[in-house]
Amino acid sequence: MIAYLTKRLGLSVAVVFLVVLILFSLLQLIPGDPATVALGPRATPEAIARYAEKMHLDAPVWQQFLIYAGNAATGDLGIDVFTERSVTTIILERIGFTLALIFVAMGWAMLLGIPLGCLAAVKPNTWVDRITGILSVGTIAVPSFLVSIWAILIFAVNLRWLPAIGAGEPGDTADQLTHLILPAFAVGLSWVGYLARMVRASMLEVMGETYIRSARAFGLTQRRIVFGYALRVAILPTITLIGMGFGGLISAAVFAEIIFARPGLGKLIFDSVMARNFPVVQGGVLVATTLYLGVVLFSDLLIAWIDPRVRDSL
Amino acid sequence: MDPVLDVSDLSVEFRTARGRIKALRNVSFSVQPGRIVGIVGESGSGKSTVLWSILDLLASNAIVTGGKISFEGRDMLTRSTKDMLALRGEDVSVVFQDPMTSQIPVLTYARQMRDILYRRDGLGKAQKRKMSVDMLDKVGIPDPEMRVDQYPHNFSGGMRQRAGIAMAMLTGPKLLLADEPTTALDVTMEAQIIHLLREMQRETEATVVVVSHNLGLIAELCDEVVVMYAGEVVEAGNVHDIFHHAQHPYTRALLECDPAQIKGKSHRLPVIPGDIPDLVQPPVGCIFAARCQRVMPLCLAQEPPLVEGEQGGYARCHLLAGPEQDSSWPPPPEVPTVARGAAATAGAKTISPEPLLEIANLNVKFNTMGPVWAKVRGVKQPWVTAVVDASIKVHAGETVGLVGESGSGKTTLARAALNLVGSQGGSVQFEGQGIRGMAESGFKRFRRDMVMMFQDPVGSLSPRKSVRALITEPMKIHGIRNVDPDREAERLADMVRLPKALLSRYPHELSGGQARRVGVARALALNPKLVIADEPTAGLDVSVQGEILNLMADLQAEHGLGYLIITHNLPVVRHISDRLAIMYLGRIVEEGPADEVFAAPLHPYTETLVCGVPQPDPDRRRTHMVVKGEVPSLLNRPQGCDFVSRCPHARPLCHKVVPPHVTAGNKRMHACHFPLGTVGTPE
Ligand SMILES: Nc1ncnc2c1ncn2[C@@H]1O[C@H](COP(=O)(O)OP(=O)(O)O)[C@@H](O)[C@H]1O
Ligand code: SF4
Ligand code: SF4
Ligand SMILES: [Mg+2]
Repeated sequence: MIAYLTKRLGLSVAVVFLVVLILFSLLQLIPGDPATVALGPRATPEAIARYAEKMHLDAPVWQQFLIYAGNAATGDLGIDVFTERSVTTIILERIGFTLALIFVAMGWAMLLGIPLGCLAAVKPNTWVDRITGILSVGTIAVPSFLVSIWAILIFAVNLRWLPAIGAGEPGDTADQLTHLILPAFAVGLSWVGYLARMVRASMLEVMGETYIRSARAFGLTQRRIVFGYALRVAILPTITLIGMGFGGLISAAVFAEIIFARPGLGKLIFDSVMARNFPVVQGGVLVATTLYLGVVLFSDLLIAWIDPRVRDSL
Repeated sequence: MDPVLDVSDLSVEFRTARGRIKALRNVSFSVQPGRIVGIVGESGSGKSTVLWSILDLLASNAIVTGGKISFEGRDMLTRSTKDMLALRGEDVSVVFQDPMTSQIPVLTYARQMRDILYRRDGLGKAQKRKMSVDMLDKVGIPDPEMRVDQYPHNFSGGMRQRAGIAMAMLTGPKLLLADEPTTALDVTMEAQIIHLLREMQRETEATVVVVSHNLGLIAELCDEVVVMYAGEVVEAGNVHDIFHHAQHPYTRALLECDPAQIKGKSHRLPVIPGDIPDLVQPPVGCIFAARCQRVMPLCLAQEPPLVEGEQGGYARCHLLAGPEQDSSWPPPPEVPTVARGAAATAGAKTISPEPLLEIANLNVKFNTMGPVWAKVRGVKQPWVTAVVDASIKVHAGETVGLVGESGSGKTTLARAALNLVGSQGGSVQFEGQGIRGMAESGFKRFRRDMVMMFQDPVGSLSPRKSVRALITEPMKIHGIRNVDPDREAERLADMVRLPKALLSRYPHELSGGQARRVGVARALALNPKLVIADEPTAGLDVSVQGEILNLMADLQAEHGLGYLIITHNLPVVRHISDRLAIMYLGRIVEEGPADEVFAAPLHPYTETLVCGVPQPDPDRRRTHMVVKGEVPSLLNRPQGCDFVSRCPHARPLCHKVVPPHVTAGNKRMHACHFPLGTVGTPE
């Protein structure tokens, strides 16, 4: 178990390191003076000089890389070109909005999708199953940015039930929550379909297993059998799916943040790309990658926790 | 006394794409309190369907089309769902066939057993746990306080079935149902489980219905027997009557086919030719007519009458009553009623003097962890030895049986001989040429001469290929192009007596016996000299098993093949083998001529295997368990003799010194410090 953890953590660190390397090389590959590339053509000579000094641009490239990597490892992601604030601080300010969006989106999708999948599997070929099937295909097929636009048009513009843009007044939780509803709806919708389909498929398989028949023969109630037994096994592939799909979730969140003008990580990266604010782009992508790796690792550990066979084989 | 369970005229159908399968037709039997009733019959005869009907847990495509099942006087088929929930696992409980798949892998035994006790509101969590621990203790699980918190995969097969029995007995059911409770287990484990079931029954006075196709188990365990064939009860009676005075030709045939029943050695085994009829359209008249040796015109036209015996048993057959009654039926037990098929070449076998395959002192090690970890953890021997100093010879025209419990290293030895796993030390020679560790490019031509026949043909065959494609696949693999594949397919089908119509079918459309024939055809496609067959008849009914083994014997006689047959089924190989090698924990502990080894084992482990086979004779029930415990893990091989932890004859020396391989004058080899006396069979 310890060996497994060490191995997995080591692997994750290696991937992050690789990402840092790629991000760093990309900057180097762009023709021209790195400082001008980083700061953009409109930067003043003083800014360029300051940047060159700060980034040790006079040092050899590999040293620059090591310095960058070393700083990143200690949590220093550099300086925002324009505001000269620490990139780490900026990202920390923003990441909360993205995390809230992702977790609320995933949360409601799970709360709805998993039980729907169970229900469809327990009563296959009934109207519940058919409706779930149609809903799943429908929601999976529609891209989340379209859902976002439609949601704004219907609920914000037409009906005026919910606010369209922004993240709400700082400190006002209720306001922030109402601002969360539409983007979370848009991001989570296709996951309802995904999860329902996935859970249905693996539930159907598990419900046919001999040990489910044993549970029935021992007189356990249908509820215990479905949720206490079958779902425990059927959820395992779903957890892997969620872990792996987290990357897609982040990109969906980026779109949603742009459309809803939510000041999250996605919007930050997008704006920084537009402004050619490369230190922030670098930092943002790095944090997003780390987040992704963290979630994948977490989902694997979760599986090991639920499934003793996996646990013992680690 | 009122019966606990009364099944009358039960009929069940399954809806399928091909039409309705009439799986049970007017099945009736009743069970008196405190009795053990066995339902026996070939697979597909509807035994499991009866059990699941009792619990109202049939597959969703099943329809009960008629009849009644009453338990303690109340109808089971019309009970409400709530009523059934209160009853299942409480008054009626089940022991399942395969403990590997019938226990949920992600919950501990403590949790699974607590869930079974969910109806006991008065009990706290701690009390339920205590009940579970006590029950595990009772079924013979060592260290139950610790074991109860483990998961099924932490238990060995035998232990898992013990736990399965503990779960079933936890609530003290009045009726216990058991579906093939030992089929997934080795002989030694089987004997232990039978013993345990009998003890539990005696203690709790529960009523038991046990389903099995294993006649030995039925004879050992049951008071009464119901014989089923193709969805009908053909005979029922008390166990002595069934085993000693069987009335129905099917019962007689089944008994005669059991290799454990056959006294002396017989190279050809008796068979019931043919397959169970298609139950979408069951034949009129007698259901067994197509396979019966005594079939008469009347049998095809009219349903046979039910004829009651003196002891309360009954059978359905025209031979027993009516115009065709035959007072000389049934003949005395020693007169055979089923054919053994004519031998292709009668007379003595010709065994070449030069060995085809010669394995000497072969060792196979498996690493248990990477070399780096071993260093880090300071493990000096990061491997297990799965095969230790194994020596075995197979001559052309000879059959050698390699016997041992699962995990004894039989398959590994075979795979190492074929260079499918690496081996460390020793030698393997084929026709005098050293082949151990040979590079695949050089070894390729040997792969045509020595082939492996796999255990589960349907599972190991590609489901999307037709039989025709499957049996000519080896030629493709070896790049043989100068033959006509269709002609070859027909030649091979002929050779293994597979009807040509089956060539265009797919594996799942074949019966068990037919699938094995495809396996044999594939193995023989390239005219090999040596065939290594891994459990060639595992999972087959006795009636079909004989067919496959007879076929293999014929092919051997025709082509002078050498066979190495790997199995845990000693009674079967005894008949077909010329020599037997007994393997335990990677070592060959005894080797010699088959009849001698079987009649007078030298090694205590061989004795265990010989006595472990349940005898199909209720008068010869074993009163004591032959061997306790299980095969130890390779990770902790005992000091001294490998068998010392289970050996009833162990002495101090055995704990210290590994017994060497000794070859006695009459070519019998053994590895025991204190070989058993050579006079008479023990017991
Ligand atoms: N769910 C099912 N759907 C269709 N046919 C079935 C189903 N279950 C069993 N059968 C058929 O019913 C017959 C009896 O099967 P079974 O009760 O399993 O026999 P046994 O336990 O004696 O091997 C067989 O022909 C089998 O193919
Ligand atoms: S009724 Fe006829 S076919 Fe059926 S078992 Fe008796 S003799 Fe054989
Ligand atoms: S050497 Fe000893 S322990 Fe081993 S089989 Fe012989 S008597 Fe038993
Ligand atoms: Mg069955």
